Amino acid sequence: MTAKAPAVMIESASKWYGEVIGLNDVSLAIDGGVTGVLGPNGAGKSTLFKLLLGRLKPSQGSVRLFGTDPWESTSPFRRVGYVSETEPLYEWMTGLDFLMTMARLHGMTRDEARERAEHVLEFVGLSDVRHKEVGKYSKGMRQRVKIAHALVHDPDLIILDEPLHGCDPLARTSIMSVIRELGNRGKTVIVSSHILEEIERITEQIVILHNGRLLALGNLHAIRGLLDKHPHRILLETESPRDLAKELITRKPIYGVRFPEEGFLEIQTGDLSAAHEILPSAIIESGIRVTAVENPDDNLDSLLGYLVGGG
Amino acid sequence: MTSELDISGGTTRMESAFGSGDGDDEAKASVAQKAEVKGSIFEQTYRPWRGSLGPRWVRNYAIFRHHVYGLFSSKGHRYYHPIVRLTILIVFLFSLSPVAMLFLASLGGQGGFGEVLSRMWGINRYNLWGQVLGFFPRNLCMWPLLTALVVGGMISDDRRNGTSAIYFSRPVNRIDYTAMKYLSSAVVLGFVIVFSYMVYYTSAIVLNGEGWAFLIDTFPIFMGGLLAGILLVLTYTSIGLALSSISQSRFFAAVAFLAVIYGTKMVAFLIESTFESSILYLLSPYDGLAHIGQWLVGIESNYDYPIAFSIVSILLINSLSLALLTSRVSSLEVTRE
Repeated sequence: MTAKAPAVMIESASKWYGEVIGLNDVSLAIDGGVTGVLGPNGAGKSTLFKLLLGRLKPSQGSVRLFGTDPWESTSPFRRVGYVSETEPLYEWMTGLDFLMTMARLHGMTRDEARERAEHVLEFVGLSDVRHKEVGKYSKGMRQRVKIAHALVHDPDLIILDEPLHGCDPLARTSIMSVIRELGNRGKTVIVSSHILEEIERITEQIVILHNGRLLALGNLHAIRGLLDKHPHRILLETESPRDLAKELITRKPIYGVRFPEEGFLEIQTGDLSAAHEILPSAIIESGIRVTAVENPDDNLDSLLGYLVGGG
Repeated sequence: MTSELDISGGTTRMESAFGSGDGDDEAKASVAQKAEVKGSIFEQTYRPWRGSLGPRWVRNYAIFRHHVYGLFSSKGHRYYHPIVRLTILIVFLFSLSPVAMLFLASLGGQGGFGEVLSRMWGINRYNLWGQVLGFFPRNLCMWPLLTALVVGGMISDDRRNGTSAIYFSRPVNRIDYTAMKYLSSAVVLGFVIVFSYMVYYTSAIVLNGEGWAFLIDTFPIFMGGLLAGILLVLTYTSIGLALSSISQSRFFAAVAFLAVIYGTKMVAFLIESTFESSILYLLSPYDGLAHIGQWLVGIESNYDYPIAFSIVSILLINSLSLALLTSRVSSLEVTRE
């Protein structure tokens, strides 16, 4: 049963801190690929991670990692790698020694630990500084060594809490690349971040939490498509927005137009895919020159705004 | 895996790919001699691990060795300050001083100075008891200081730095974590206190050329002292770890331990001096252990209450310490429960 169980299974889990609710009746299952966990401060992301790591016991409902309750047993942690936002490191150790120490906590022999530590350090791009003390690493390097220590035992589930926090753009790019590669390898990666654009660059699979409740779960674009109350917008940059509007307004599924600023036309539709299908031919038929087409609200930022704003 | 293009400058792969030089304390600026056309393309290739993870005892051994081996080398192990290491070494060497005296006695031959040394440091009930439980200098200057230094930061360091999270996000449960911390501390204390006691006894036999009759006569006394030494190590470890678990400062834990050992004895001494009642020595862990030790090696007791009182006192002190320790460790990293 355990072998077939999903990496993460949460059923009707709630967590109260006295009168305050941290997580409210959340049910979700995650298995394989990269999933972004999003939500404003106080949404319940930290509570969710603490429940997954067995550091909190749900007040109600159940949490299972690979079919086992992490509060009751530490056995799932053989298959879990965790990168905390604030977790300290052994500053006096070199990167290699630190990784070897962590590997040995999983029961590896000395030789296995060294081989594995060297590989994951190379994977995260730290092999050239493996003999340098962790305390002398830059912020980006520290984040990467944390990812390395979470990977040293080749876990099936990797939980990353704000892994991009405080990193320079180069380090972010590198970490995002590592996360994508892990997802491509079939690992289950759960990543939280406040930087929505970066989550978008890593994955389209998202979980949105707000006030402890699960607001949305699934593919970013599919979720956006379900928000009927908020029509999709397509922004066109053109020399003659009014003439183009006259041409397009009569065509289905376009049902509204706006002129947000000079030289721009915004069309509104309930079916984004269908609108994009008819748009090229309609523009060609109109003979009006269009220099840019974009979907300003088909992104995570807008989605989060619509869902959290409750509009 | 990596295709490299004309790397001939002084830039490492790491710096080319990720700018690792940023923030390095030892980074040095250099001026390029000439503009070079160079670059690297890296592929991040993750290789799954095909081995199998070791059983529980292997993981626990990793925790144990992390703490114990750190006394000898910080490379890959727990960090002990050089002064702490030096102090432990001095305490250990001092605890072996009777061995040196016995060696001198063996050189002195029969009669004279050699006989005086042999009488003073030779094996008898009082010397065996004193090697472990004598108040001055061992339980005044050595064992409490040793315990404070070794045990003080054992859990408080994790509490202050949050490094217990490193254990609890791995297949290490709180029982294993506590047990291995306890075992590591007890082994270090045991090495100094119990091992030096054993060396003392063995060297007395070897250096004096004692025979089987002496061995048969003294072995039960030796075993009594050994048991007392083990009890002392366990009791001091329990109290020290309990204090370490309630603190985020190794200094507090160390000072609190010394305060418990010396403070209880001092209070009991003052009460005895003033009111001629020795019953408060039951509160003193040292005196409880000394009383039990006297009973185990068969020497006259300094205490005017029954041995059962001291046994119960030491059991209670250990139980309370362990209860406090387990309760504190069970809440480590468990937030807002």
